[in-house]
Amino acid sequence: MTDPAADRSAFEAEVLPQLDSLYRLGLRLTTDPSRAEDLVQDTVLKAFRSWQRFQPGTNIRSWLFTILRNTFINDYRRRQREPIPMDLEAVEPHAAFRAAQDEDPEGAFFSQIVDAKVLNAIDALPEEFREVLVLSDIENLPYAEIAEVLGVPVGTVKSRLFRARRQLQEALYDHAVEMGYIRARDRAPAKP
Amino acid sequence: MAGGPNCQEALALLHDYLKQELTPELEDKITKHLQKCRPCFANLQFERGFLEMLEQKAKGQCCPDRLRQRILAQLRDPSDA
Repeated sequence: MTDPAADRSAFEAEVLPQLDSLYRLGLRLTTDPSRAEDLVQDTVLKAFRSWQRFQPGTNIRSWLFTILRNTFINDYRRRQREPIPMDLEAVEPHAAFRAAQDEDPEGAFFSQIVDAKVLNAIDALPEEFREVLVLSDIENLPYAEIAEVLGVPVGTVKSRLFRARRQLQEALYDHAVEMGYIRARDRAPAKP
Repeated sequence: MAGGPNCQEALALLHDYLKQELTPELEDKITKHLQKCRPCFANLQFERGFLEMLEQKAKGQCCPDRLRQRILAQLRDPSDA
């Protein structure tokens, strides 16, 4: 027989410190603050109801991210536009480094870009890229755990991450050129 | 990659290297390559700057207090849950 008050307090101790991470993933998936709040609230309640199924010693973050993502797919995504199906393999890797290396080899231009612009650029990525990027590069989940959350092989995580980062770098590089944070690399003249 | 990695192999693994996702043996091989290859080392610095920027800028967003309060209230009031 378990004590509900003790259960709730154990749940709160584990889950409340993860609210920031859950909110950030929710925001990037829904791209809407008020829907993100609802999604996080639903996630926490679902987690509370299935708290008995959480295995102590396993990663609470992976468990919560999985619930949040499933909730998003089942209850939220249908209400907004479906992601545009795209051939993820067709996204060409682009090395922003190659373009920036002469003038700004350490990528200092990245830090000149305002936070909101970076977040918008993440939100403009295909959903498959966005979720993997948030889990790895913002929430620092190891590849193996990301693979579990997404239900795909580690190799898929790696290849999506590679393309997601390249695509984001390209968008941020173009923005930095537009804003004058970095000079455009001389491009070959267009053929007549 | 029986011996040391070439530049192409090293560059393909830079992110995994920075995220500490390589086996110790492979990590060691990449470290050795980076120590003697300036262009790859420069690329490493660039990728590191990118990843640090990304985490720092995105982590500025936190769960709003009102959401935290809403969740706490709901957890503590079973009739509402």
